[in-house]
Amino acid sequence: MAEDLEFYTVDPDDEDVERRDIKKLLTECGLLYEIGIEAFVVCRDGEKLVACAGLQQNVIKDVAILPDYRGGALSLTLVSEVTYLAHSRGYSTLYVYTEPKNAEFFRGCGFYDLVEMPDTVVLMENTPIGIKSYCKQLQKHRVEGAKIGCVVANANPFTYGHRYLIEQAAKECDWLHLFMVKEDVSLFTYQDRYYLAEENIQGIPNLTLHAGSQYMVSRATFSCYFLKDQGIVGKCHTAVDLLMFRNHIAPALGITHRFVGTEPFCATTNKYNNDMMVWLQDPVRGAGPALDVVEIPRTEYGGTAISASEVRRHLRSGDLDRIRNLVPPATYELLKTKYVPLVQAGA
Amino acid sequence: MELKQEALAGTLESSDLFIRVSPSEDPLEIAIESEVIHQFGEQIRATVEEVLAHLGVTRGVIVIQDKGALDCTIRARLQAAVMRAAGETKMDWEALK
Repeated sequence: MAEDLEFYTVDPDDEDVERRDIKKLLTECGLLYEIGIEAFVVCRDGEKLVACAGLQQNVIKDVAILPDYRGGALSLTLVSEVTYLAHSRGYSTLYVYTEPKNAEFFRGCGFYDLVEMPDTVVLMENTPIGIKSYCKQLQKHRVEGAKIGCVVANANPFTYGHRYLIEQAAKECDWLHLFMVKEDVSLFTYQDRYYLAEENIQGIPNLTLHAGSQYMVSRATFSCYFLKDQGIVGKCHTAVDLLMFRNHIAPALGITHRFVGTEPFCATTNKYNNDMMVWLQDPVRGAGPALDVVEIPRTEYGGTAISASEVRRHLRSGDLDRIRNLVPPATYELLKTKYVPLVQAGA
Repeated sequence: MELKQEALAGTLESSDLFIRVSPSEDPLEIAIESEVIHQFGEQIRATVEEVLAHLGVTRGVIVIQDKGALDCTIRARLQAAVMRAAGETKMDWEALK
């Protein structure tokens, strides 16, 4: 049997026959064909498609093997192949979401548990030291105190609302850790968002600004966040991201409180905020100590809560005057000099 | 040899091993997972350390998923991974001994 097996890579958007067969295989295995998978490694036994594994950047998705072909060398070859494929595309550390009952299979392929949402899903990465060495780095920034706060912000771009939230949180805490979302899929580049955070937090004495990582609000931990603008929410495992925070990141820094702005506009972010109350606060939900979630009402301008999405809207319509009231000078300058021309060139 | 980029070698198939080496600022960190870790774990680690020492690798992260590979396979795969990571093409046959 093994002699007849052929492995190769397909682009599901370009190859209709392959895509059709992959969909059929996934259906037979009780899985859904996920949109946005850039490449599949597939295995055929003669004409028949018997296994596939999809890759979306650094996340392995839609792994399916026909029952008759499970438990043997095929599965290991499949995972080796998809790892090489990812490597050739520049992705080293890989993540996989799988049902808890299939986690053992991936453990045998060099994946290690990061976090488990009981009875639902396990997030794994293909290194035993990734999260460990990340937390070791974080520990260097640990500040002792009774109340250690944390804000995680995308700040796309940084507004007076972010400044207000961070200021209020810092006032309530002995020390505040601010993380910038690293994933570079927003209108504003990570580099620019980080720079604006640096500029706009000046004067707050008890604060550490951290680079983001793949372990918080990333494609790996919270993929649907980055699809929200397309309105695709789907099955959204906010719990995975929140448990990563509770079990790994918060203990490394001794974080006791997570601060968040109220979310009147975006359904995905609102769900994330509500889920925080459950997955961070409930004493029995996570392995790490329970945290307090503090929701701070959004600051307003002219009777409306300030939001980055509104700023982006004004940017698209070229309404700089209205933006001026919503963002600090550093953001305004960058918008004017870089992003207005960018948006105009795009439109 | 200095590891300049991440590199892979090997497979997850039986009697082989999968190696991932990555550059790092910190001293060598070696993580080995093996189906025969209880019988041969120390021997595998000794082989890995010896090959790395011979190749002069002092910094980096080495992650190994062993599926019962023979000693010679471990040496060959590890050297291949290190050479790929160092951008080196000239084979050092001594390291395979």
